[in-house]
Amino acid sequence: MTANARTSSELGDRAWIRARALRKVYHRGSNEIVPLARLDLDIARGDFVSLMGPSGSGKTTLLNLLAGIDNATSGDLWIGGNNLAEMRRDALAAWRAREVGIIFQSYNLIPVLTAFENVELPLLLSPLGRRERAKRTMEALVTVGLGDRAEHFPSQLSGGQEQRVAIARAIVAQPPLLLADEPTGDLDRESAELVLELLCRLNTQHAMTIVMVTHDPRAAARAHTRLFLEKGELVRREEVAL
Amino acid sequence: MKLLPFDHAIRNLARSPRRLILLVGGSALVSFLVLGAVSFSRGLTAALGASGLPTNALLLGAGSEESVERSEISPVASEALLASVDGVASHGGQPAIAAEIHVALPAQSDNLSEPTPILVRGYESGSFLVHPQVRLRTGRWPHRGAPEVAAGPEALTRLGNVEFGSTIALAGEKFTVVGVLDATGTTMHGEIWMPVELLALVTQRTTRSCVVASLNADTASDSILATQDAFDEVEAFAATRLDLEIAAMRESDYYAKLAEFLAPIRLLVIATSVLIALGGALGGINAMYAAFSSRVREVGTLQALGFSRAAIAISLLLESLVACTTGALIACAVGRWLLHELAVRFSMGTFALAVDSTAISAGLFAGILLGILGSFAPITRCLSLPIPTALRT
Repeated sequence: MTANARTSSELGDRAWIRARALRKVYHRGSNEIVPLARLDLDIARGDFVSLMGPSGSGKTTLLNLLAGIDNATSGDLWIGGNNLAEMRRDALAAWRAREVGIIFQSYNLIPVLTAFENVELPLLLSPLGRRERAKRTMEALVTVGLGDRAEHFPSQLSGGQEQRVAIARAIVAQPPLLLADEPTGDLDRESAELVLELLCRLNTQHAMTIVMVTHDPRAAARAHTRLFLEKGELVRREEVAL
Repeated sequence: MKLLPFDHAIRNLARSPRRLILLVGGSALVSFLVLGAVSFSRGLTAALGASGLPTNALLLGAGSEESVERSEISPVASEALLASVDGVASHGGQPAIAAEIHVALPAQSDNLSEPTPILVRGYESGSFLVHPQVRLRTGRWPHRGAPEVAAGPEALTRLGNVEFGSTIALAGEKFTVVGVLDATGTTMHGEIWMPVELLALVTQRTTRSCVVASLNADTASDSILATQDAFDEVEAFAATRLDLEIAAMRESDYYAKLAEFLAPIRLLVIATSVLIALGGALGGINAMYAAFSSRVREVGTLQALGFSRAAIAISLLLESLVACTTGALIACAVGRWLLHELAVRFSMGTFALAVDSTAISAGLFAGILLGILGSFAPITRCLSLPIPTALRT
């Protein structure tokens, strides 16, 4: 393993995610809050990146920008050739449906839908027919080890199982980018290990690019690239030699 | 645009039975009240429209054109009209003309603790020719000189559901109900009829309230135009016989004017219904606010997954529409069952509420409108939050 203090890599044209002078400012009354001061960042396709830093360092804000669910105040953010800063809301929604899977800390499953229906949701946005959707949904559930829980409602599942359903939902459309916000934050150690194993497997076997926000050093240790943020700036980048 | 499945909206409705009941109940109340108000209005209009025929001329006391009960004319007016005007129709040799008394009298029965005012009509034999809407349903017409009456079913109901053959009191005098008349859909359905001479005796009046005459038609048609010449003659008669102090109008015009006169009552009923309905609507909207507000994070999640705001708004709107339309359908079914042909009493007699297709359409429309307009603010609020904020909620 090698560690260095570079704040951006030297991926150059090989960078799949590229942020330049990325800045996000909120206004709360007369106060200006700057969760991201100025950020330059390159991430290669197929990388497994962990984002670490103290609360308020801008990790979740960066993740939101990468997910296209928030807009940068200034700067540019390219993902796979798309400049998110220039995309309109509807185009961003369509892009998210195609390109991004999101895993939330609190799972965010729809309580009135079964595990199967929750996982199927992103596929409803695709042109796939019912049979193909059902096939892919079951595959995703089997991938996360919950093939036998398809007809269970979220209230009938444990926290770890709910998070695995959420992961199945995030990967079912086979997006190239998987974003995870504290995916193990609400889980016990055993469930957290299962989830991390799953993320590693998705990264290695399915070549998904994963960006994971975490406070947990054990979780961060699974990543190949570790980014450290402080006061809205990238202060350190560590890369693991594979 | 890819929409969320319809059954997701239905399942969301079942999340909170209490909220669902509030929403469906609020919509049902709104629809029921609108249905009731429209039924009232249409029932009143229909009853007044059916009570007066356009082919009948009405002679009233000059200055009393808006109320036949206040009108007084000479008892010889009908004979004078018949002698002067050729345009009065006849059936089987009998002229279709009648001088009648219309008066509201306090009526009492053994089933009532307090007298109730009922419109009593003094009739002549010609009355049956000029009011073809009236038929005898049971029994017989009263014999002249005998203390007997025929009553409409609504009048019997108003007297505490007295039965055919019972004795009732009118202005303190006792009468036997020897017949039940039928004039469905008109105000006469709630009247009591007795021979005009007897009613004049009971009320100690020498005058009549009005003369009703059926007009000769130029053609086989019963239209107003066909009887125009005959009506012109009656108008000319009223204008020239200043000694009689009478005014002429078509019977249908009289009831149309009466409908205008009753417009404030109709407005009051509608306004009261709308005010109460607003309460129901606010209850429904409040339930919708609560239902949608508790799902802000889910809405954020759906947006994060890639569903457009429009798709989510349509799903939420469908939820609201399904609940409100269900409420409206229930209200219309209950309304049709409870209100249709329900007798409403007023000074003129009675009329039946008409829960017809127009009233049902109005009730349904009110429910659907509540579903659309009522959900607008909760949906807007739900979708106005930035996705990251919604996800943190």
